[in-house]
Parts: sequence; structure tokens; C-alpha cells
Amino acid sequence: MRGTLFAATIVALIPLVLVIYYLLHKGLSLWFTSGFFTTDPTGSFFGNPGGIRSAILGSLVIVALATVISIPIGIGVALYLTEYGKQSWFANTVRYFVDVMTGVPSIMFGLFIYIVLVTSRFGGSGYAAWKGAVALALLMLPIVIRSAEVVLLLVPSSLREAALALGAPRWRVVFQVVLPTSLSGLLTGSLLAIARGMGETAPLLFTVATAFGLTFNLNSQMNTMPFLIFTDITSPRAAIQNIAWGTALTLVTIVLIFNLFARLIASRSSA
Amino acid sequence: MQETRHQFHESLRALEGQALDGLDLVIQQLDRSLESLSYQDVELAGMVVADDDRIDGRYLEVHQGILSLLARQAPVAGDLRIVAALLHVIRCVERMGDQCVNIAKLVPLSGYETPKDKDILDAIERMGRLARSQVSQAKQAFAGRNVELAQDLVRQDTEINRLNREIFRRAVEIGDNLDLREWAMFMILVARCLERVGDNTVDIAEQTVFVVTGLFREFADASTPPETARTP
Amino acid sequence: MNTPDTTSKEQADVSAGGTPAPQSPQATGASKPAVTGKAGHAVNLKDLNAYYGAEHAIKDVTIDFPANEVTALIGPSGSGKSTVVRCINRMHEEIPGARATGSVRLDELDVYAPDVDVTAVRRLIGMVFQKPNPFPTMSIFDNVAAGLRLTGTKSKDLKDLVHRSLQSVGLWDEVKDRLGSPGIGLSGGQQQRLCIARTVAIEPEVILMDEPASALDPISTLKIEELIDELKERYTIVIVTHNMQQAARVANSTVFMLEGEVIEHDETTKIFTNPSDERTERYVTGKFG
Repeated sequence: MRGTLFAATIVALIPLVLVIYYLLHKGLSLWFTSGFFTTDPTGSFFGNPGGIRSAILGSLVIVALATVISIPIGIGVALYLTEYGKQSWFANTVRYFVDVMTGVPSIMFGLFIYIVLVTSRFGGSGYAAWKGAVALALLMLPIVIRSAEVVLLLVPSSLREAALALGAPRWRVVFQVVLPTSLSGLLTGSLLAIARGMGETAPLLFTVATAFGLTFNLNSQMNTMPFLIFTDITSPRAAIQNIAWGTALTLVTIVLIFNLFARLIASRSSA
Repeated sequence: MQETRHQFHESLRALEGQALDGLDLVIQQLDRSLESLSYQDVELAGMVVADDDRIDGRYLEVHQGILSLLARQAPVAGDLRIVAALLHVIRCVERMGDQCVNIAKLVPLSGYETPKDKDILDAIERMGRLARSQVSQAKQAFAGRNVELAQDLVRQDTEINRLNREIFRRAVEIGDNLDLREWAMFMILVARCLERVGDNTVDIAEQTVFVVTGLFREFADASTPPETARTP
Repeated sequence: MNTPDTTSKEQADVSAGGTPAPQSPQATGASKPAVTGKAGHAVNLKDLNAYYGAEHAIKDVTIDFPANEVTALIGPSGSGKSTVVRCINRMHEEIPGARATGSVRLDELDVYAPDVDVTAVRRLIGMVFQKPNPFPTMSIFDNVAAGLRLTGTKSKDLKDLVHRSLQSVGLWDEVKDRLGSPGIGLSGGQQQRLCIARTVAIEPEVILMDEPASALDPISTLKIEELIDELKERYTIVIVTHNMQQAARVANSTVFMLEGEVIEHDETTKIFTNPSDERTERYVTGKFG
């Protein structure tokens, strides 16, 4: 029995190991190319392909905006569900739809935003970074809500009772007792949602498109790492393909760092 | 289904049985001491004195049992009243045993060919019978938690007290015969012992009423001025 | 149903709801600081009924809790004692589907009156729970001060208040050097005393205790009982306990409840030496329950 399970574990780990190996094998050398992190892609097929600076920064900007949108709303919804809605039919309906949303393919969010915001040229632009952030936020929202709800439910009801019995109004119970107690869990959940958001490609396809140069204009197209990988990997030119590998390695590393942060916070709080 | 605290209530019942059986020992001792008195049987009197050890032993047993029950079971309410009452009851048993011993000790002292007074002898005999029936009734009242029976003991006790006073009066008027006078004094002492036995049965009666009602009232008897009832 | 004989105390101490009457400081011992006492406050329940949905949990309960005395509620599980206590500070209504009818008065104040703010009621009627529940993210100091911070009350001298509260529960000497360390780092008995200090710090008039020592070891339990004895000089205390011996040790008067009804309410000594009701007798002697 033990042997079988062990073998199965090894089999499951093989693709992971292979992926990491390939990433490092193909992409690591790019990291040490001069200008990889400091210059923007040139967009030209011939000559110097440039670096990936605009992609990295673009990803960070868009995900940051998505975070600012999804985390407060997500935690707010979770608070509503645990503190006020509880088992009412409305709260249960909300929970059901949130569950459904976690299963929606990410491309659907992209298409939704495409139709609602992009084709209608809302805000005076077609593809725009902020629209991509909205799509990502929609994707991250159910993850935040679910993980936040779990964490909030873990706060013992005896603490809420103690605060209520002292004469605290509900909102203070939430902000001064429930949230601080569940803070590390909420942070962990948020970081995991962010890590997920960083890597999503499909929502960005129809909402942000891409740009080569570095820009911080949220109302314009922006470069992102997933998009860059998407376009460069199919390039006939090997040098550009390698850029894609370098970008992939960078992306994975950033996601890894977010995950490590989440784990650190989780272990610190339980210590 | 067994009631909860079955062990405890069993122990309490057993303890009560032990204490009340002490009253049977008292009756035995009473009978024998009075017999030894009427027949001047010094040997029987000696047995009464020796057998008091049994009553003292019973006292220690019950006392220890009560301590143990208090320490380990923390009795409350009705159970607590029973335990407290049993302390009193076993004390009364022990004292009554001592009174019997006192009577027995008077036997050799009262002499052999002694002149006797019929009236006094009759009175003593009647007191003896009364004391015996009172002890028996006290046991019945306590065991049966019978308040009426307990209160009736007071009535019977007035009779014993009356007889005691009568013997005293008779002894004072007995005349100039020195031997007779001496004998009469001894009979006064015997009467006093019997009267004390009667008082102890009244104590047991008071404890019976306490166990049932939770109120402690001293029963007024003819020898003391009536007291107001007191509740703790 | 018997009521205890406490007329003199009640008549002396009726005051308008919530306003403390001026009184000389009551010292509870040489080592305890003099804390300004309040005039005693009595709680009266009349025809209280409580429901969990369709379940009728407590029926026509009428009890007078005399000022500055400890009243214990005893009875088997499910007899409604915790429900009664939670109706007093309106914690009962925090349970979905729960409601209560009848009258609960704190002195002259009707606790259930429509214009009464429930948080104000809970500031006057404090509660200590069975399982100690200090706030885990707060230090010892912050825990004691939590009551004030959670109600948005400004305090002129917070440090002094915390000091006095910790002293009044006998915890000051044990924690004075580590006020900044987490509240949950204390032992069970200390945590419970911390929770009591937290309750005392908001200066309530009544303290409700729902089995405060049942999760503690015997020595901590005895310390809590001693504390209750001291606290009654300044507060009216209602304690729910399933430990009859505790009720016997701690309470001035005891209420016996069975299946949601009050069976008997009398001086503790009377309940435990000569109860009037047969059911009370059977319960306290352990013949059932």
C-alpha cells in the first residue's frame, strides 16, 4: 500500500520537476542577459528583441489594481456572509453563486469585460489596463471570498460573544475583534489570490491586449508577462522564443515569492 | 433503574440502622439492670457494667460513619438533617447506656437484707416499665419518621417525671430507720437515672421532628418551665 | 415559590437606572485599592418567557435578584438557567430565531423597552462566560482596556483603571511585569480572572456569570469563588452553576429551575438544609439530575 502511494506521488511530481527543469534550463540564461530586466521589448522581429521591463511592471500594475478592487470587496462580502447574513436564504444564494464563479473558466471573465467595456469603448478607450484589472478582479473575487469566509468562520464565536457582552456595537466587534483575529488568515488568502491573478492570461487577451513600451496609463494598452509569453513562444526566431522562457521563469518566480510570503505569514501566526 | 447516589443512600440507611439498633441494646441493658436491682443479683449487675462496652463501641462506629459520610458525600437537605440527628441520637444512646450502668452499680451498694418500702418499689418498677416503653417508642418514631409518636413521648415523659418526684417525696417522709433511709436514698438515685433515660428519649423525639420538619423545637416537659419554640 | 427576605437591602438601594449614587469608597481589603462603590442595583424578572424558534425554553419566570448579593441558578441540564441569564443582558437575541417576552428590569429601567439601546444595557450588565475568552490578538493590558475601546468610551486615566481592575481580581501582582504580553499566554484560571477584570473595567452594575469555573481546575475554582465573594460588595451577581456545592459555598440565595420553570427560590441555607419543594429536595440530594 505504502509503496503504491509513494509511486503515485513520484509520478505526480515528475511533470512538476520537468517543468522547473525546463524553465531553468531555457530561461535562466536570459536573466543574465544585459538589459533583460531594464529595457522594454522592441517589438521588432529582427535585431535586438529588447528586455521585458514593461511586461513585469505592467503585470504588477494591473494585478495591483485588481487587488485593490477585489480584496476589500471580497472581504466585505465574506464579512457580510459570516456576520450578518449567516444562514439566511439570501446569504446561501450568494454563497452558491460564489461557488459557481470559482468554477467559471477565466476566459469568460475576459469575454464579459470585452463585451461590456471594450467593444463599447467605455471610458474612451478600447483595450485598457484598468479593464484588464477589472477582469482579473472578477476572477480573484470568489477566491478571496471563499478563503476569507473560511478564516472568519474560524474565529471562535466566544470572542464575538465576549465583545458583544461588553456592550460593543456589531461594527466594532467586526473591526476590532474579528478582523484582527483573522488578519493573518485573510492575508494568506489574499496573497494566494494575487499569485493566481499574476499568472492568468485569458482575461487579459481581450481586455488589455499589449503594448511594447513602458506605460503607466491605466486607460491604455499595457504589456503583461503572460501575454508576452503567449506571443513570443510561437515566434519563429529562437532568440524571441528564449525571451518567452525567461519571462516564464520570472513569472513563476514572482508567484513563488508570493506563495512563500503567504506561508511565512501563516506559520508566524500559528507559532 | 437505580437512583443516582445509590451507594450513598445505602450507606446512610445502614448508618441509621446501626444507630437505632443501639436503642435495642439500651433496652436490653435497662431490663437487666432493673432485674439485677430487684433480685439483688450482683453478678447480673456486673454483666451490665461490662456490656456497656458494646454500647460505647456502637457509639464510636456510628460517629466514625457520620464523619466519613460528611467528608466524602457532602450530604445536604434531608440527608444532612438525618446525619445531624444521628449524631444526637447516638449520643443519647450512649448516655442511656451510662444510666443503666449507674443503676447496676447501685446494686451491691444497696445491701442484702435491706428493709424495703413497697410504695417506692412499685414506683421504681413503674418508672422502669415506662422508660423501657419510651425507648422502644423513640426507636419506632425515629425509624418511621412519625411526628405524632414523637410528640406522644413527651406526654409519657411527664409521667416518669411525676413518679420521680413522688419517690423523692416518699423518701423524705420514710421515717427514722437508718437502714431504710439509706436504702431510700439509693432508690432516689435509681429514680434519677430512669428519669434521665426518659429525658434522652425526649431528645430523640425532638430529633425526629427536626428530621421531618426541619425545625428544631425543644419539647416543654413538666420538670422545666415552658420554653418558647425556637427555629434556627 | 419562596422569595428571600431581603426587603431592607432592596428598599435602600433603588435608584434610577444606571446613575451611580454617591457613596463612600468601599475598601475590600488592605491590599485592594479603594474603588468608588455604587449604590446597589437590583434586577427583577417578571413573567419572562423565552423561545428558540418554536421551542418554549423558559416559562413565566419571575425572580428578584437583590442588590449586592450573589444569587445562584441551579438545575439539571436544559432547565433554562443559562437562557434566563442571557435574557437579562439581551444576549439571547443574538441567536437567530430567538425571542423573549416579559419584563426584565434593572432598578427602574426596563431592559426590553423599545427605545433602549441594547449596547447600553450590556455596559450596565456584564457577563463572564464558561470558557475564558480573552481576545487573542490583544495584550493583557489591552484586554482589560478592551471594554472601553470596544464601546468607544474615553477614559481619563486608562493605566490607572487597568491597574485597579487587575487588582480587584487579584491578578495585578501576577501580571504587573508583563502587561504587554498576550492575554492568551496566561493559565486557565488567570485567563478567567482576566476576563472578569475586563468586565469590571467598564464598571457595570450587575455581573452575570455563566458557569464561570466549570472549565477550571479546583484551586482556580476556589480562587474565583473567593473573588465572587469580594465582588458582591460592589456588584449584584447572578451565577449559573451546575456544581451544587459551588452554589452552596458562594450564593446568598439560590433558585432551583426545572424544565424552564422556577421551582423554588430561597436562602441558600434553607435550600440545602430544608427545601420546601419535593423536587428541590430530590435534586440537591442527588436522587436525580
